[in-house]
Amino acid sequence: MVGTVGAARSRGGSRGLLAAALAFASGLCAGAILLFGGLGLLGRELRPGTLLLVAAAVLAALAAVGDIAGLRVRPQLPFQVPEEWRRRMPLARALFLYGVLLGTGTSTYVPALAAWALLALSFALGSVLHALLIGLAFAFGRALPVVVLAPGSRAEALSERPGGLRTARVLAGAMLAAAAAALLAGETVQAKTIVYRAEDPSAYGSDLAWQRPGVGGFLRHNGVVHQLLGTDPALGGGLVAWRNGPEVTVADVATETPVLQEQIPGVQKLAVSKDWLVYRRASSGRVRLYAQSLATSGETLPVSSARLPGMLGRPALDGQRLVFSVTTQHASWITFVDLSTREARRLRESRISQLLNPSLLGSRLLYVRNGRCSQTLQEGRVARRGQGRALYSLPPMAGWDLGHERGFSKQGERRPCRGHTRQTGKVLWTTALGEHQAYLTVLWPTATGFAPALLSVHG
Amino acid sequence: MLAVAGGGALSAALRTQSAQAFHFCGHLYTTGSCPHPTGLPRVDRNGFPLRASDGHPVDDLGRPVNAKGQPVDARGRVLRDPDGQPLPPAPRTRVCVKAGREHGFTAHYDGSWHRCCHGRVRKLIDCCGYVRRRINGDAALTGYCYRGRKVFCVTYYDTKVRC
Repeated sequence: MVGTVGAARSRGGSRGLLAAALAFASGLCAGAILLFGGLGLLGRELRPGTLLLVAAAVLAALAAVGDIAGLRVRPQLPFQVPEEWRRRMPLARALFLYGVLLGTGTSTYVPALAAWALLALSFALGSVLHALLIGLAFAFGRALPVVVLAPGSRAEALSERPGGLRTARVLAGAMLAAAAAALLAGETVQAKTIVYRAEDPSAYGSDLAWQRPGVGGFLRHNGVVHQLLGTDPALGGGLVAWRNGPEVTVADVATETPVLQEQIPGVQKLAVSKDWLVYRRASSGRVRLYAQSLATSGETLPVSSARLPGMLGRPALDGQRLVFSVTTQHASWITFVDLSTREARRLRESRISQLLNPSLLGSRLLYVRNGRCSQTLQEGRVARRGQGRALYSLPPMAGWDLGHERGFSKQGERRPCRGHTRQTGKVLWTTALGEHQAYLTVLWPTATGFAPALLSVHG
Repeated sequence: MLAVAGGGALSAALRTQSAQAFHFCGHLYTTGSCPHPTGLPRVDRNGFPLRASDGHPVDDLGRPVNAKGQPVDARGRVLRDPDGQPLPPAPRTRVCVKAGREHGFTAHYDGSWHRCCHGRVRKLIDCCGYVRRRINGDAALTGYCYRGRKVFCVTYYDTKVRC
């Protein structure tokens, strides 16, 4: 290919050489986009799942070892690009088409085991963007030696010095090994249980508070964990809040010196920031959210109300900004309230899925999306619509039947989820967002109900 | 020997008859099921999803729920979080309406027909809309739909009437 591109110089000078190189590089990109992008698209639609992703990562690791050790590339394709194209077609068109064939990586001789692993990864990642990036990197790698060697017409440089190809294989293997290790690490160490029998995390800076059902609230401040003098703790703005029955205390997080103590009958959950205390209370068969200013005015604003318990989620504060979830039998949404302006709006809304227990930090929004086919911890942007990215996921809470009655045909059957065969009794529950990690309560089914566990998730 | 051979043939014939060309009892044509949280498109008399195996109401997540939409366990007890509060309800949507939302048409329950299935009268209901293609992907047919609407998918309601 170096010779073919280099031949353009004798026909059209430097400009002809440049056009030929561009045509070849464009073809490489087009071929790579077609094949790798197609695999990414297929992966996105079929959702191959974690198992296949781990299998692809293991395959990548093996391919990396093979390339570093210089093993023979197997399986190998004994094909070459059609030589007559460069005689029958204008050179630029022929080079573009050669590029398309070579860009796929699988229509001619395969120079490294990494090529096979990249195809598997492109599918297993289930992301068109990632697959395209892999494809374009592959195309760049194939174009580089041709474009560099063609001006000097050093067509035999690679074949005379096989050390070049060997070095390229070692480098590709090393990079692939790093990618496979990162992928495997990402899949297995993504989430870690940090406290058993704990729920309702609340984070501020490096501090973390949580509730142990039946025991009380706990605070981890400067790396030291101790029990608070109440339950349902919340952190924010250098303050910590807890309740002892109906008595709510807001205190300095460092000294735990109270700055506010008051009776709030029916209080359940708290959120606190430098300027506001938000609480959920149950009274007269309803649940209500109130925001109380911590400034001297001490005004209290009613924020939201719901008829059934469970419909209003746990509130979360970041400065003046409040978020909470509302779930009904018709829809589910996350409400955002700017307490300084009293403006409220819905950040996310769904008539299909259940959106639960959001938390907020700067422009980041964290929440649980409980859908028919999976439960996910989603991180997105406050200002943007869309689901954002899934940081952690579990199978759905409910299973399904065969889709057809026994003794009847499968023709016409429809199952709710593709590719999933299991359900879980676990439930994704409350969230908190720290600067470097997210926190999540997972409820585990027990004989008497649910037992919570607190996870930290690195995003 | 004749009796054994004859009995075998009769048994085989009955087995062949019990295997239907359609995916649930009473279904007369090839139109596929409406999207349903638990698979088979069983609904209550108002079109909300029921679990086919036992007729228990389910929400859009497939969880068994009570009349308030709160998820319940196998014994019908409300599922509660570690604080003792009921787990929140999830959306529960009429199966035909959900099919319309997912596939971009306004859904109508139009006509229906009845068959005897498993000893009870089963009402089979077409989910209709102004559609050209049915859920299977091929051309939609008029079926029991009115006013130019065509069948997109099918659901069924098991009555308590013995047959």
